[in-house]
Amino acid sequence: MKKQSKPRLAFFDFTDCEGCQLQFANLGGTLLELLELVDIVNFREIISEAAEDYDIAFIEGSITTDNDVLRIKKIRDKAKVLVALGSCATIGGVNGIKNRSSLELAKKIVYGDKASTINTIKTMPVHEVVSVDYTINGCPVYLPEVVSVVKCLLMGKPYVVPNYPVCSECKMNENVCRYEKDQECMGTVTRAGCNSWCINNGNRCYGCRGLVDNPAADAQKDILSKYGLKLEDVLKHFTLYNDSMGEKYDQEFK
Amino acid sequence: MKYASLKKTNLNNWLEYLKKKAKFYAPRKKENLFVFRPVKDVADICLEYIPTILPPKKYYFPQKERLLRFRAQPFKTAKAIDKFEEFILFGVHTCDIAGIQCMDVVFRDGPEDPNYLNRKDMMTIIGIECLKYCDKYANCASMGNHIPRGGYDLMMVDIGDEFIIHINSEKGEKLVKEVDFIKEATESEMVTLGRIREEKNEIFKEEFYASLPKVYESFDKSFVSEVWKDLGKKCVGCGNCTAVCPTCYCFDVSDEMELNLNDGLRYRIWNSCQMDDFAKVAGGEDFRKGRESRQRHRYYRKFKYPVDKFNRYFCTGCGRCTRTCMAGISLIDTVNALTPVSID
Repeated sequence: MKKQSKPRLAFFDFTDCEGCQLQFANLGGTLLELLELVDIVNFREIISEAAEDYDIAFIEGSITTDNDVLRIKKIRDKAKVLVALGSCATIGGVNGIKNRSSLELAKKIVYGDKASTINTIKTMPVHEVVSVDYTINGCPVYLPEVVSVVKCLLMGKPYVVPNYPVCSECKMNENVCRYEKDQECMGTVTRAGCNSWCINNGNRCYGCRGLVDNPAADAQKDILSKYGLKLEDVLKHFTLYNDSMGEKYDQEFK
Repeated sequence: MKYASLKKTNLNNWLEYLKKKAKFYAPRKKENLFVFRPVKDVADICLEYIPTILPPKKYYFPQKERLLRFRAQPFKTAKAIDKFEEFILFGVHTCDIAGIQCMDVVFRDGPEDPNYLNRKDMMTIIGIECLKYCDKYANCASMGNHIPRGGYDLMMVDIGDEFIIHINSEKGEKLVKEVDFIKEATESEMVTLGRIREEKNEIFKEEFYASLPKVYESFDKSFVSEVWKDLGKKCVGCGNCTAVCPTCYCFDVSDEMELNLNDGLRYRIWNSCQMDDFAKVAGGEDFRKGRESRQRHRYYRKFKYPVDKFNRYFCTGCGRCTRTCMAGISLIDTVNALTPVSID
């Protein structure tokens, strides 16, 4: 088994902060164990080489320019397996806030009188442009989940992202509910898989992993308004990470 | 000796003794709520507490439990846990003890569940009787669980300066007999206990409008009801109600490989009928579509199905599901809403 050549991993970033790659680099001892199984051939945060010959592509960031579209298609053509890494790549993430206004207005707000020289398109998660084989949600990605996905990938098994909300993991961790403390929390409608990482550490859920397939939008709106939030603020909570989720999202929430 | 007496001034001495006997879990404060936790300092123990976030079931039916160790090549399997540890659950309310009795019925029903039974064998339960309501969410009196009904090794009752301890097993008797400061209860102490129980009858009143048999009957007739529609609209599907329930025992099984991709562990993890995909089968068919039917299912799993199958209600009256629901779904209100429509 060891004699076979190892699969080659490459990392690419689009519109993002490179924080999810940094998380990957932070795997520490596990990263060394992982290198027994794979070769990392392109990863600018940890190596200076940048090979163009790879099997598995990890894509970080959302697609926001015409050039991005061309580039991601080229990567897809080359890679046998493509993994979307982090919120920007999987759901559009915070970059999706741009989609709330018209492109013209967004350009003007950000670039002022230079707006006409800028090429930008609506923010899209990777799967809206090319097919994605594995999805690792989160802002940033949760390392134990990253490891689970990599194992599945190497065994050729699918990785099923949980379709239940963060609350179910949070309760198993026996956290005091944020609502109990009068804090608004998106855990009720946000996809689990992070082991309620934020709440375990005293924070609340911001919805960075995207919404479950069938979020109880009305019930959640009721809950948030019960805790004194206006519809406007409620929508802000829903849209912080999830604004580029497309039509389905629009139907549910707007 | 059937009833023993422990002076409150000696409580800490007894706790120190118990702590050395086995792994020792007791209720402690967590922010504004309570949790069962291992005890280092006996001063951290809270005997006046509202039901903990999770019931003590996490100790005999852990959230994520190792079942099996395996190797792919050459293929080999082995028990994941060779030796289970002795442990004491201290300060358990009678509602939670009822929860343990329900779990017992389920996991002893053939085929018996060895992991549960192995843990259960190692468990000593020391209960404490509630003399007043924890809060407005409890419905223990309707379920008959506000008074001790067995299922424990020792049961403590606060009678003022002393605790009366009911000895209900050999295991429990040892823990009382081995220390010299616990004496047999005197006659006058037993009289006080009787008086306290009488006073308690005045405090605890059935919380449901209808008696339990009537509630059961109403479930027989309420499969189609506006009540479930209303619940379905409110429910956000978070699964809190089932996680905190002392009698919910659904689990999923999954295998996790180590990084060498050859060795692995099989786990069971709590699962919940409130999850979207819970009743989905291959081909995409969903036998319990919608939060409305999933909430209904939860109630039927407490007040109807287990009564038919085990002759036992699976609601203990602890009130956790109501307490934890941010959508404000109340068990008492739901059951009360069902009874007037269905019964003349």
